[in-house]
Amino acid sequence: MTRTQRRKLKKVLFWIVIVVVFVYLVFPFYWALNSSLKTEDQLMMTPATFIPRDTEGNFAPTLQNYKGALSDPTFIRSIWNSTVVGFTTTALALIVGSFSAFALGKLRFKGKKPTLYLILSMTMFPQVTVLSGLYAVITALNLHPILSMILSYMIFTLPFTTWVLTTFFKKLPIELMQSAQVDGATPFQTFYHILLPLTAPALVTTGLLAFIAAWNEYLFALTFTSIAPQSRTIPVAISLFSGSIARQEPFGEIMAGAIIVTIPVVLLVLFFQRKIVAGLTAGAVKG
Amino acid sequence: MGKRSKGSILQKEQSLAYKLLIPTLVVLGLVAIFPLGQVVVTSFTNREFAGEQETKFIGFNNYAQLLGVTVKELPPEIDDDTGEVVKDPETGETEYERSIMVLPRKPNRYKELFQYNWFGKRYVVGARDKEFLIAVGNTILFTILSVFFETVIGLFLALVVNSNFKGKGVMRTTMLIPWAVITVVSARIWEWMLEPGSSGFFNMLMYRMGLSDGQASFLTNSALQMPTMVAVDVWKTAPYMALLLLAGLQTIPKELYEASDVDGASKVRQFFTITLPLLKPALAVALIFRTLDALRVFDIFQVLMSSKMYSMASYNYFQLIQNRDMGLSSAIGVIIFIIIAIFAVIYIKSFGVDEE
Repeated sequence: MTRTQRRKLKKVLFWIVIVVVFVYLVFPFYWALNSSLKTEDQLMMTPATFIPRDTEGNFAPTLQNYKGALSDPTFIRSIWNSTVVGFTTTALALIVGSFSAFALGKLRFKGKKPTLYLILSMTMFPQVTVLSGLYAVITALNLHPILSMILSYMIFTLPFTTWVLTTFFKKLPIELMQSAQVDGATPFQTFYHILLPLTAPALVTTGLLAFIAAWNEYLFALTFTSIAPQSRTIPVAISLFSGSIARQEPFGEIMAGAIIVTIPVVLLVLFFQRKIVAGLTAGAVKG
Repeated sequence: MGKRSKGSILQKEQSLAYKLLIPTLVVLGLVAIFPLGQVVVTSFTNREFAGEQETKFIGFNNYAQLLGVTVKELPPEIDDDTGEVVKDPETGETEYERSIMVLPRKPNRYKELFQYNWFGKRYVVGARDKEFLIAVGNTILFTILSVFFETVIGLFLALVVNSNFKGKGVMRTTMLIPWAVITVVSARIWEWMLEPGSSGFFNMLMYRMGLSDGQASFLTNSALQMPTMVAVDVWKTAPYMALLLLAGLQTIPKELYEASDVDGASKVRQFFTITLPLLKPALAVALIFRTLDALRVFDIFQVLMSSKMYSMASYNYFQLIQNRDMGLSSAIGVIIFIIIAIFAVIYIKSFGVDEE
């Protein structure tokens, strides 16, 4: 084999690897899409086909599963619930987190190190440990399930936003604060009018990750809505999906539901790819 | 600036800092620290969830219930007529009494966990809460297997994506999708792909490739359950691992590779002498994160297995919501906490993360 041949072979092998990896990553979604476009009979057809086919073997997709999923009031409600929980959790985690991040990143005070480590240790905290204790707190406070989810999601969003924003604040030059103070601004004004706008990129990044984490959460949601079906979020609704048309487990509708709730996530990832990667690695390297 | 005014600026700063920290500390106190205390206290009681029963302190009873094990010698089975030890007519091996004959039943019932031979004698290990100990074992096995495979596959993915090729950006975005999609949603997609019978994708594939009769029930056949759960988890988390490792790879200076190219080192050698040692810090952090995550795995076990196989977290959920046993569930929470803490300490010590 000549050198160029060998190089060509290497290139072909490399691309085969790339294609295999790509298929490995996205195939489950393709299969879900494929199944969501099949009727109940087509789903039971054996062997399963790679595209929806009728009995003659022609391409024959159907949208009935999507109609079914979208006319299911619990499913629609769950989308709304998830949206409310996701956005409120993110906003709260960012506001509260940026306050403490400013203190930890830019202000001088006693007990800074212990506070920092206390918050950091929270990121390693096993949430399942407090499941029963948290449930007791929520029943004692008589909180609405939506509110209890928002509050409990602070366990994993707040330490993360605080930690990442703290490292971000630390990097901002101290001169910014000093010159504002010379101009007579109080530290809080400096924070609010000067430093906070500068952290906008970090806020977007951490906010995105907090949102995705809240959007995906299942254990607390399942527990706190166990007796409140009207407050269920998407993960709970999808896991308990019973459908409206099919007699058995309505996998066509479940797959349609899965595709519907996956599209926004995919769009989010496409738009904010760089930011998400930055946030993930910041969270990992620092916390 | 005079000493006094400087002091007052510092004081102002300090009091502002404390005020700014109050919301965070209050929230974390309410959702983490107070519930943790509550869990520890409740774990020593027989508290029922939403029950009529009066709550009493019962000491370590919940822990004894969960962790109670006993080892008993299993006597060989004696034939009533001949008075001799019964042997298997085919293999000639000694037959033993059924474990139910030797395991204590009062005051607490022990169920057989497993049997073993030791110096020619047969022993049976019984547990008061067999399901829980199996759940702990399953979770640890699951963690070891899934973290191992996702590290290997994640490292491979990271190396692939770190090389220069057209479509690198598309690939990196694609890698985020399994991580970002709701775990429950992907679990249900996998559930459908794993359907027994050839309407399921994997059975269809195996049947077409002539590997099986296309009737494998991945989720109910006990030999296939664990590999299936690991495969589903690795699919979701290996790309995430890859992204963390990719960040580490990008910090390795290119000059090192160029220099070793000049020295004529092979790519494999470069991987072991340059890439791996310099990737160690990123690898350590990624491993800690993934291990702690895997130990508290809930979503995929709850959706794919529910009562067929428990993880520690899904068993905790089961005891709290289905059995309404808050005391026991709290004790499980404490045990999970301790197990995770042990893993965290081992990791941090062995990687020397704290020596920075």
